[in-house]
Amino acid sequence: MYAVDSPTTPAHRAPVGPGANEPAPRRRKRRGKGDDVVLPWVLSGPALLLLAILLAYPVGRMLVLSFQKFELKELWTGATPKWVGFDNYTAVLSDSAFWSVVQRTVLFTAASVVLTVLLGLGVALLMRRVGRVVRMAMIIAMMFVWALPALVQAQVFKMMTDSDVGVLNYLIDKLPGVEFQNHSWFYTPTQGWIVITSCVVWAGIPFLAITLNAGLTQVPKELMEAATVDGANGWQSFRNITLPILKPLLVIVTTLSVIWNFGLFTQNWVMRDGKPEPEFQTLATYSYVQAFGQNKYGLGSAIAVLTVILLLGAMAVYIRQMFKIGEVD
Amino acid sequence: MTDLKSNPSTAAATSAPAAPKQRKLNPLNGVAHIALFLWALATAGPLIWVLLASFKNNTEIFLGKPFAMPEHFSFKTYADAWNEAHIGQYFLNSVFVVLISTAGTMLLGAMAAYVLARYKFPGNRAIYYLFVSGLAFPTFMALAPLFGIMQSLNLLNTYTGLILVYIAYSLSFTVFFLVAFFKTLPAEIDEAAMVDGAGHLRRFFQIMMPMAKSGLISITIFNIVGQWNQYLLPVVVMQGAGADSKWVLTQGIANISTSAGYHAEWSTLFAALTLSILPMIVVYAIFQRQIQAGLTAGAVK
Repeated sequence: MYAVDSPTTPAHRAPVGPGANEPAPRRRKRRGKGDDVVLPWVLSGPALLLLAILLAYPVGRMLVLSFQKFELKELWTGATPKWVGFDNYTAVLSDSAFWSVVQRTVLFTAASVVLTVLLGLGVALLMRRVGRVVRMAMIIAMMFVWALPALVQAQVFKMMTDSDVGVLNYLIDKLPGVEFQNHSWFYTPTQGWIVITSCVVWAGIPFLAITLNAGLTQVPKELMEAATVDGANGWQSFRNITLPILKPLLVIVTTLSVIWNFGLFTQNWVMRDGKPEPEFQTLATYSYVQAFGQNKYGLGSAIAVLTVILLLGAMAVYIRQMFKIGEVD
Repeated sequence: MTDLKSNPSTAAATSAPAAPKQRKLNPLNGVAHIALFLWALATAGPLIWVLLASFKNNTEIFLGKPFAMPEHFSFKTYADAWNEAHIGQYFLNSVFVVLISTAGTMLLGAMAAYVLARYKFPGNRAIYYLFVSGLAFPTFMALAPLFGIMQSLNLLNTYTGLILVYIAYSLSFTVFFLVAFFKTLPAEIDEAAMVDGAGHLRRFFQIMMPMAKSGLISITIFNIVGQWNQYLLPVVVMQGAGADSKWVLTQGIANISTSAGYHAEWSTLFAALTLSILPMIVVYAIFQRQIQAGLTAGAVK
C-alpha cells in the first residue's frame, strides 16, 4: 500500500512542474516547489477548518468544562465558571451509580460486538456459497436495514415488543402452552437489554456482512484450492488462509463497532421514551442526563471525558492498528 | 466463487484447472441457503410488519392479527402523516440538508484525502491523525460545547449551521476511507498527466476523481445514509423559536411518538417510518450498478 505512492512523491519534487513547456528552468523549479507546499494546505484547508471549529474546539471545550463548576447559575448569569480542579472527577468516580453504568455499558458493548461480528462474518461466509442472484437479494435487504435511522430501528423494535400491539408477544403466544399476551419486555432489565441488544445487533450485521463479503472476494481462489489439494479441511483453510487475509478488515470493523456501540444512546433512549430508568442508562445517556437534565454541565463533561478515556484505554492497540492501515508515511 | 469454501471432496473434484468455475450441488450449500433464508426473514420481517401496519387504521392494528393484509390499501395514513404530522415538510427539509451536506462532505473530504495520500509535506502525518481521531470520539461527547459555539456563531436553528455540522462530523470517516483508497490507485497515470503539463487541480478533478469513482460512490452512499440518520445533531442545532418548521425527518418521527397521545398516532407513526426508507430506494435505484460493483468487489479494503 505504501509502495504505491512512493513513485509520486519524488516526481513532485522534480523540477518538472505544471508549467513544463515554459523555457525558464529556474522559475519552473521555484513554482513547482511552492505549489507542493501550498497546494496541500489549500485543498485540505476547508475541511481542517470545519473540523477544528466544530469538532476539535467542542472536544477541547468539554475538557476544560470538566474542570469547572458550570451549572444553571453560570448558564443564566453568564458568570465566569469557577475552576474546581478534579472535583467533578472525584464526584463521579466516588459515585457507585457511575460504576454500575460503566459495568452495564461494557457488558452491553462486549455482548453486542461479539454477536454482531460473529453473525456478520457468518452471513458474509454464507454469502460466498450462494448464487449471484441470492447474494444480490441479500445485499439489497441488508441495505434497507442498514439505511434505517437508528431512531427508526429503535422505534420498530419498541413497537414490536409493545405489550399491546407488539408482534413479538403475538408470535410467542402462538407457541403451544405459552401465555405471552400483554407481556411487558421492559419490566425487568435483563429482558429489556435483550431487546435493546437484539435491535443493535440486527441493525449492525448488514454493515459487517457487506464489508466482510467485500473482503472475502480478496481471498485468492488459488490459495484455497491449493489448501484443499493439500488436504486441509474447511476449518483449517478458514483459520490459516481466510482469517489472516481478512484480519485488517476485521480489525477495522470490530474497532468501529466497539466505538459505536460503546456510545449507545439512541436505542435505549427511544425505547425508554426519553427517560431511561437507572437500569437502562449507558455512559452516553448518563452523561447527557447529568449535563442537560440536571444542568450539571461540568459533571456531565467529566463523565464524557472518562468515557473516552475508558474507550481509548481499552482499544488503544486496535485503534492504532486501524489508523495505521491508511497511515501517511 | 461459490465453491470458495467448499469441503474437500467437492474441491478435489473441481481442483482440476480445466473446470475451476464448475458449481456442484452439495448438502452444505443447501444448509447455507436455508440459513440465509431464515436470516433474511429475520432481517426483512420487521420491515414487512411496519409496511403492512402503515396501511392499517388503529382498529386494525389493535385487532391482534399483525400479519393480516390491511382491509384496503388506502393511503390515508400517509396523507395524515404527510400533512397533519408535517412529515412532508420534514422529509423535504431532510432531503435538502442531506443533498448539500453530502456533496460538501465529498468535495472537502476528497480534496483533503487526495493531498494526504499523494503529497509529502510537513505536517502531513499530524493532519491525517487530526482527521481520523474524530473517529474515536462518540458524538455525544461534544454536544454541549457544540451548542455553545453554534450559538455564538449565530448558526443555531439555521440550515447552514446544520449542514456545516453534518459535514464536520462526516469528514473523519470520509478522509480515513478515501486516503486508504487513493493509495491503492496506480500513480503512473497521474504522473503521465503531470508530464503532459496538467495542473494540480486538473489532475485532481479529471484524473483522480474518475479513477476513484467506485470508492467515492461507496463512501457517498455511506454519507447519505449516515446523515439521513442523524438525530442527536439536529436536536442540538435545530432549536429555538420556530424551530419546528425547520426540523428534519428524524425529529418529526420522534415528535409523533413522544409528544402525541398514546393511542391516536400508531398508524401515522408506521406511515412515517415507512416514508423514512423511501430515499434509500431512490439512492439504490440511482447507484444500483455501482453498488453492485463497488460495494461488493473490494471497495472496502
